[in-house]
Amino acid sequence: MRRLFDQIHNLDEEELLILKKRVEITIIVMVTFIAILVVRLWYLQIHEGEKYADMALNNRVRQLQIVAPRGNILDRHNRIIISNRPLFNILWTRDDAKDPDLVLKKMAEILQEDISDVLARIRMVGNHPKFVPIRLKEDVAWETVAFVENHRLELPGIRIEAVPSRKYNYNNLASHLLGYLAEINIRELKNKSSTLYMGGDQIGKMGLEKIFDAQLRGEKGQRLFEVDVHGLEQQQLKLTEPLPGHDLQLTIDLDLQQVAEKEMAGKAGAVIAMDVKTGGLLVLASAPSLNLEEFIGGISQQSWDKMVHDPLKPLLDKTIQGQYPPGSTYKIVTALAGLMEGVITPETTYDCPGYFTLHGHRYGCWKRWGHGKDINLEKALAESCDVFFYHIGQEVGVDKLAIYAKSLGLGEKSGIILENEKAGLVPTKEWKKRKKNESWQQGETVSVSIGQGFNLTTPLQITRMTAAIANGGTLYTPQIVLAIKDQDGATLQEFPPQESGQAFTTARALKLINKGLVAAVNGEHPTGGSAKMETIMVAGKTGTAQVVRLEHYSETEVEDVPNRFRDHAWFTCYAPAENPEIAVTVLNEHGGHGGSAAAPIAKAVLEAYFNKKNAEPSSAQ
Amino acid sequence: MFQFDRRLFQNFDWVLLGLVALIGAMCLANLYSAMPDTFRGTPVYLKQLYFFIMGFALILLIISVDYRILVEFNYTLYGAVICLLLFSSLFSSGLAGTSRWIDLGFFKLQPSEPAKLMLVITLASYYFRKDTGKGFTLKELFVPLMLAGLPFALIVSQPDLGTALMLAFIFISMTLFVKLRWSTLVTLIGTAFLTAGIGWQYLLKPYQRQRIETFLNPGSDSLGSGYHIIQSKIAVGSGRTFGKGYLQGTQGNLDFLPERHTDFAFSIWAEEWGFFGSLFFFAVYFFLIFWGLNIALSSRDKFGTLLCIGVVSLIFWQAFINLAMVMGLLPVVGMPLPLFSYGGSSLLTTMAGIGILMSVRMRRYQAPV
Repeated sequence: MRRLFDQIHNLDEEELLILKKRVEITIIVMVTFIAILVVRLWYLQIHEGEKYADMALNNRVRQLQIVAPRGNILDRHNRIIISNRPLFNILWTRDDAKDPDLVLKKMAEILQEDISDVLARIRMVGNHPKFVPIRLKEDVAWETVAFVENHRLELPGIRIEAVPSRKYNYNNLASHLLGYLAEINIRELKNKSSTLYMGGDQIGKMGLEKIFDAQLRGEKGQRLFEVDVHGLEQQQLKLTEPLPGHDLQLTIDLDLQQVAEKEMAGKAGAVIAMDVKTGGLLVLASAPSLNLEEFIGGISQQSWDKMVHDPLKPLLDKTIQGQYPPGSTYKIVTALAGLMEGVITPETTYDCPGYFTLHGHRYGCWKRWGHGKDINLEKALAESCDVFFYHIGQEVGVDKLAIYAKSLGLGEKSGIILENEKAGLVPTKEWKKRKKNESWQQGETVSVSIGQGFNLTTPLQITRMTAAIANGGTLYTPQIVLAIKDQDGATLQEFPPQESGQAFTTARALKLINKGLVAAVNGEHPTGGSAKMETIMVAGKTGTAQVVRLEHYSETEVEDVPNRFRDHAWFTCYAPAENPEIAVTVLNEHGGHGGSAAAPIAKAVLEAYFNKKNAEPSSAQ
Repeated sequence: MFQFDRRLFQNFDWVLLGLVALIGAMCLANLYSAMPDTFRGTPVYLKQLYFFIMGFALILLIISVDYRILVEFNYTLYGAVICLLLFSSLFSSGLAGTSRWIDLGFFKLQPSEPAKLMLVITLASYYFRKDTGKGFTLKELFVPLMLAGLPFALIVSQPDLGTALMLAFIFISMTLFVKLRWSTLVTLIGTAFLTAGIGWQYLLKPYQRQRIETFLNPGSDSLGSGYHIIQSKIAVGSGRTFGKGYLQGTQGNLDFLPERHTDFAFSIWAEEWGFFGSLFFFAVYFFLIFWGLNIALSSRDKFGTLLCIGVVSLIFWQAFINLAMVMGLLPVVGMPLPLFSYGGSSLLTTMAGIGILMSVRMRRYQAPV
């Protein structure tokens, strides 16, 4: 048998030609396939190159937002009311952990939680890349942070994240005014500039935190860094430091605000103190206050419901949103109208038998047995004689009363920067026709002239009115922010006092009213006697706003009337009477009589003000 | 037979050697960029350099022997490789659930690699002996089909889909080259489709099936199997016209690209050298392929031609499938880019194939003794 090797022979011409043809076909096939590769290469690198270059960049570059420290909120003497504190969160990165179950078990122990709760939270985050950290727990105690830091090596994948958060140095002080922060919602996100606001940001939801959010929040910083496939940082590419937010210096005086809120503890109502020469608010307190800490990290539905259904209505800012009949404080308006319209003079007197008769109907004075004969303006204001003012009301008429009321800032928004201010109501004949399609009854003027009936005012309006009476008739726009400062304390923007109108007064009329108001605190039978101070002359007016007129309770002592049927107690005053500096108004919801339930609170604020002024004559204005 | 003719040296294929050296240089440079160092001993580019040196030694050994001797020993070779495959299936250490390697101490032999070359030699011998010139009938194809089928089955069971597919491609390429009857061709194509269908249902492992599904819709699983395809496309695409520059690729250096020294080595090249650098690579690489076809034509005998066709198709199909995979045109299968991907078994097998080409080239004027 021939060896196979020997069978191999050289090809002849014909065989060569056949092979050549086949190789040619092979070449065509190969060239086709190579062409496919080249076209694909061109498509990926040239045609789609930019897209893939972007994707490569996104692959490796991570962007980290650095939250800017939010500006502080200061009182008028630069004492910090709200500052920042770091909020510590526990982060867990699945990728870093060799034995994730063990680490989680340990963490659950440290957090004193059930492991199933921890796992449930992780599951809630859902499907996401392994290298993205999950927040295991927010706002952990400082001790926990220290423990975790000390046991770092036993807890691979666990990290502590520090996020700036609000610190309320005086708990819930001025809570309605200051407001709170919460995570931005979709609606807000749509309306705000997308360069400054991002999902997950904290944003002011109420009060000054909301109104001045843009100034307080500062500008976020940014860190660009390169990561490998495990998300581990390789190098920092770029760092933009955050710009801290600006501080807000308020007109509020911490000491006075604290006194006012302490006095209002357990009550509902409002306390306001205003610098009569500038309109700056030294106190703006609404009771009960809100628990601001509860709002950090989002308030629970339970707490929210509780607040909504609380009869003391903590959610309502009673200083600007609460509308109450002004009661006898309105007698200032009636007195002014009477003097200005020439209906009364200081010598004018009326008798008060305890009632006033109009068209056969008797309108009682609060003093059922009457104030006696020959009551003049001073005595009428001092003892709050209703009958005297019924007479003026009838002479002047409701529309004239309204003109003076409005010139004192009632029935319109004061223009304070806060949101949702209510305008109150000053009734006129035209108003009633328009609103109720009824003509004005003369008897209604009687009610209006002592601040009952349709009249509605906010405590801030009453304060502004009193301040105007005190300062010679100038209405100021109530001011709450003195200045915006940078974090070094340099003033960036100042808010000067803003005059917004002039009351229809004369010096003579004001002097007469002043005399009556001084007597109302310091006179022989003063209604506001409990606001009397030893060294400082206080001028003031009590008010008792009827909530409902129930004959049933007319003989009953205040304490025995169910709370919701009790009258609102008003007291508005200014001091020193001869050269006024400060106006204080107190509204004690369902407190009963102004003289007993509101005037002492006003006195406490005044005392705090003047004590402080005497102690440090330089710092208090 | 072993006498060394002076003409042999005169006819030495310097072009082919130069091409291999050039691709080798690109390979080493690329490996240096892909994995400049390793925490476990010798860096891969150095290891690959050693394999290249061994490869050149292997070439020297092969060209010193007349390739025609292979026609005598092909069944011996065949038997030896089948034994290796059986051995690896039975005893080798499972790496990632597969049993492809035999640990030889200094390196892990992957017997499925020499199996490719073994099939080339076996088929070349068989077709050389049986060729009638009129085209094969289905009946006549039975024996070569069995010859290819046995290693194919063993490698599929390892499981190594890529290499098994490669055997099929070699079989088809060489069989088509020796000419089939039309009826045979039609029957074969029909059977192929049928087998593919059955294979999808019963033969493929779940992960293999998933790879193909992922390929068809890579976005659906961007952190799982689709990850390879997407990251590789990002690497290639982001190279754009001129590339990011040597050693400047980010996809590889930051670990985004998996298997970047083996199957996805070309992604690194394309990222760093861009479109023009890649075209240059293609030019060199495919010039080598066409040069192989040129050698096939220059052979004085049919056995040499068939051997060359087999070796060229072996290199070409691996290269095409690898490149198409890297550029997202084909699903991810384990398939190295010959001479360019890191890996001793693949490199030595390819170098042996190059040695056969050179041997054929050198003996183009030499009649069988």
